Amino acid sequence: MPLARRIPPGTRQPGGEPRRIRGTTARRRLAADRFGRWLVAAGGVGIIATILGILLFILIEVWPLFGGARVEPLAGVRDARLDPAALVIDEYRTHAVSLDRDGRVRIVDLERGVVDDELPLAGDVGAPDGPPTALAPVSGRPVVAGGFADGRVVVRTVSFAISFDDTGRRLVAPEVSAPTVLAAPGTEGRTVVRLAVAASPAGDELAVAAAWADGTLHVFHTTREENDFTGEVETSVEDRPLEPLAGGPPAALAVSARGERVLAATADGRLALYEAGDPRPSSVSGPGAPVTALTWLVGDRAAVVGRKDGAIEVWFPIRDRGETRSRIVFVRAFPPRDAPIAVLAPSLRNKGFVALDRGGGAGLYHSTSRRTLWRGEAGEAARTLVLAPRADGLLVGGSGQLALWRVDNPHPEISLGTLFGKVWYEGYPGPAWVWQSTGGTDDAEPKLSLVPLLVGTLKGTFYSLILAIPIGVLGAMYASQFMHPRLRNAVKPVVEIMAALPSVVLGFLAGLWLAPLIQRVFPGLLLTLVLVPLAVIAAGAVWHRLPARLRHRVPDGLEVVAFAAAIVAAMWLSFELSPWVESMVFGGSFPDWIHAVSGIPYDQRNAVIVGIAMGFAVIPIIFSVAEDAFSNVPRTLISGSLALGASRWQTVTRIVLPTASPGIFSAVMIGFGRAIGETMIVLMATGNTPIMSWFPFNGFRTLSANIAVEIPEAPYGGTLYRTLFFSALLLFALTFVINTVAEVVRQRLRGRYADL
Amino acid sequence: MTTPDSMPVPPKGAVPDAAAGRDPALDPGIEDPIFSVHGLSLHYGDKQALHDISIEIPRNRITAFIGPSGCGKSTFLRCFNRLNDLLDNVTIRGDILFEGRSIFSPEVEINTLRRRIGMVFQKSNPFPKSIYENIAYGPRIHGVRDRRRLDEIVERSLRAAALWDEVKDRLHDNALGLSGGQQQRLCIARAIAVEPDVVLLDEPCSALDPLATARIEELMQDLKENYTLIIVTHSMQQASRVSDYTAFLYLGRLIEYGVTEQLFIKPRKKETEDYITGRFG
Ligand SMILES: Nc1ncnc2c1ncn2[C@@H]1O[C@H](COP(=O)(O)OP(=O)(O)O)[C@@H](O)[C@H]1O
Ligand SMILES: [Mg+2]
Repeated sequence: MPLARRIPPGTRQPGGEPRRIRGTTARRRLAADRFGRWLVAAGGVGIIATILGILLFILIEVWPLFGGARVEPLAGVRDARLDPAALVIDEYRTHAVSLDRDGRVRIVDLERGVVDDELPLAGDVGAPDGPPTALAPVSGRPVVAGGFADGRVVVRTVSFAISFDDTGRRLVAPEVSAPTVLAAPGTEGRTVVRLAVAASPAGDELAVAAAWADGTLHVFHTTREENDFTGEVETSVEDRPLEPLAGGPPAALAVSARGERVLAATADGRLALYEAGDPRPSSVSGPGAPVTALTWLVGDRAAVVGRKDGAIEVWFPIRDRGETRSRIVFVRAFPPRDAPIAVLAPSLRNKGFVALDRGGGAGLYHSTSRRTLWRGEAGEAARTLVLAPRADGLLVGGSGQLALWRVDNPHPEISLGTLFGKVWYEGYPGPAWVWQSTGGTDDAEPKLSLVPLLVGTLKGTFYSLILAIPIGVLGAMYASQFMHPRLRNAVKPVVEIMAALPSVVLGFLAGLWLAPLIQRVFPGLLLTLVLVPLAVIAAGAVWHRLPARLRHRVPDGLEVVAFAAAIVAAMWLSFELSPWVESMVFGGSFPDWIHAVSGIPYDQRNAVIVGIAMGFAVIPIIFSVAEDAFSNVPRTLISGSLALGASRWQTVTRIVLPTASPGIFSAVMIGFGRAIGETMIVLMATGNTPIMSWFPFNGFRTLSANIAVEIPEAPYGGTLYRTLFFSALLLFALTFVINTVAEVVRQRLRGRYADL
Repeated sequence: MTTPDSMPVPPKGAVPDAAAGRDPALDPGIEDPIFSVHGLSLHYGDKQALHDISIEIPRNRITAFIGPSGCGKSTFLRCFNRLNDLLDNVTIRGDILFEGRSIFSPEVEINTLRRRIGMVFQKSNPFPKSIYENIAYGPRIHGVRDRRRLDEIVERSLRAAALWDEVKDRLHDNALGLSGGQQQRLCIARAIAVEPDVVLLDEPCSALDPLATARIEELMQDLKENYTLIIVTHSMQQASRVSDYTAFLYLGRLIEYGVTEQLFIKPRKKETEDYITGRFG
């Protein structure tokens, strides 16, 4: 700021009256000047602040995705009678049911911190001798089971009836069902040594896997059916014997909710997978450290295995194509804990689980994202733990006490690994990049890999730029260097109006008119690639043969009109010949032919359509910027070249093009930036299938179109919502990097021509 | 440009047509001219910039065009290599014979014509390439591919332009790194690299300091041996120092043309005398 021009207010200029008039005008001018400067500065700072503000907002929305879980104590219960082997907790975290080692089921009010009621597990069903010999570990579902020395298995389900009192307070009334007794023929009098229980989400199906001291294995599957008219409840039990494991009863058991998949661990750490319809295991894994805890994750398509050496592993049953039996396959491991794993309890909300080791250490994990979300101490006394149905609480039980923890774990399924790396999802034969935000079933997990969207973005950009760059740059070269100025003055504004065309119109035309048209005449389009250049060459040859007198009569730069006629004629001919080429070369149908040749089906809305439509949007931008770059090449350079006897073409290719290259580079980069962020055209002109393929005749989904497609479906603050913001951030970063690189390269190039 | 009101405009028809007879003020009697200009008029759109100029340019001599700025010197010079063709609002009447043949005839290959008639511009305009590539550009355009021949041409041209010693160690540096005077000599070297017959120079020294100007003037004396030079200058001292013949243009008309000493010492026209004595312009 020029200090000299600052006159302190109130300073009197010497020299009396005449000076004052000049002083006021000067002051007014100064004020206006200062105001103008202030306004400009405010505008500039405002723009920067707005952009930073947007960036900040996006960052704030994205940030929680990568945070861990918060777990803090909420309530505790002390009662010497408690010694839980398994726990059940209600949805509102107000009550718990503890299956204690003394064979009694105790109902605990977590809010008041007292044991409300207790009853024997076996109830009045016969009189089993003594306490249970086996108790089923936590399944996450409201069901408890125990096995007795007389060979019987008793199962009880727990329900929490909700009512409201006069003041609108919610009342939860835990109810334990009458015992169901399961007995298998030939197991009478044999001690039950191992149990696992599971229930379907609706609670109408139960499964129990049981092992007896002699190694006998059975799986029971009970189905409750309520008659809609009579209200009668009918329970059917299916009992399936399984072939015993070599080496005695299993060290651990896990059963799926419908009993169709049982996982049993052998004493030497092998995993045996039993499937419905076959008593023999369909697959047995290799040996390992002894298995101390075993559970299926929600959906029963992944098992978590805890071992004596502290290892925590995830295994999938994988059914290969054409096979009827599955293999049990190791998928991933988590950092091992210091003590043997005592309990693994699945979350009912996602593919997460909690683990408790014998040293009292607890941890919260997520299988798919491979994240350890929290680790903490549950205390030496801890024996078991369970996640609340909404995954918002963790109940830890030890002898004489229960402790309830609040769990805040909003986005366990997201990590940089799941966003960018290959992830092995349940039910997939191997790791893959997949975007599938919602699944067909409730227990299907969202698959949020951004890689297919990045590939789609680059694919759309690539196909539009291979069309737009040559046409835009060569068109600009022609217009600025060869075209008659009068024609140029007409062409430039027309092309620039093209840029103003709303992209939704382009997308609409591309999707509804161009896509079916191209499907019909694609062979013709291919033919234009041959016939148009031929026509131009032919027209050039004819032009050259014309008598000089005639040629000189056409003003320089207006020859284009004659050439345009040749181009139009060649295009017309190409499309007329299209059906003929289609039947001669492509056997009658180009889409069928390309499908047969490539093995990939032809999509009507494909990358070629987007290339053309988006090319149409990008060409005017590239043309306009490149035309300026060409026109800004100093005339003196062109004259200098021509004065040496160079032809116009030589001058353009050897002098104008290199000199204009920084500008052309930025034209291409601006076009690139436009294509990357373009939304409406890709949204409407592709099928928006998030596939990873560079094939020109199928669709894709871009980052920007993905945001448009998914944001209405994304609950505010949810994982999908934040992931979409993350993809917006990615888009932001992508354009930022491209523009920065473009600018740096341009400055470099320009440095070479700085003195022009 | 300042033109005092007192300056009399030459009466129409005061300049006789070449065919009408020999005017000693316009015809110093040149034998075997390389260029003969006949009744050349040029319009920029509606505005006439050159009025019926007829002149003969001697071979292997330096001819200077002088006159106040805006009188049409550059316009006239650009007619010789048809550089005015680039402008779309120019119409030319009359004719210029080069080696006895009209340069405007349809049979003339304009690129060949321009190779034979080189040009150096008022503002030096080296290409944004290396020194070597600047010189090699013309020969390459005309089909010289052989690297050794190009090396030879580059060295010969740079020596001819008295630039070789200064740049021989940095031939592959960007030409834009040279000083103004060096750039202008580079442009001269570039012009003679294609072995022209004529070199047109449009105020080649106007942007240069006296030392650089002296070097170029010296250079022109050397080049005269092999080339016909036509130089436009608004500096009478320069014209008198370097040229053999001088033409004085004023308001688009050729006022006087003659042997340089004679024109400066004993001008035949009053306008010429006024101009060279510095009474205007
Ligand atoms: N491209 C052009 N278009 C229109 N008028 C021009 C153009 N170039 C020069 N003129 C005009 O022609 C006259 C002669 O210009 P010029 O030849 O550059 O003069 P000089 O070189 O003697 O200074 C001037 O009046 C100038 O304004
Ligand atoms: Mg001039």
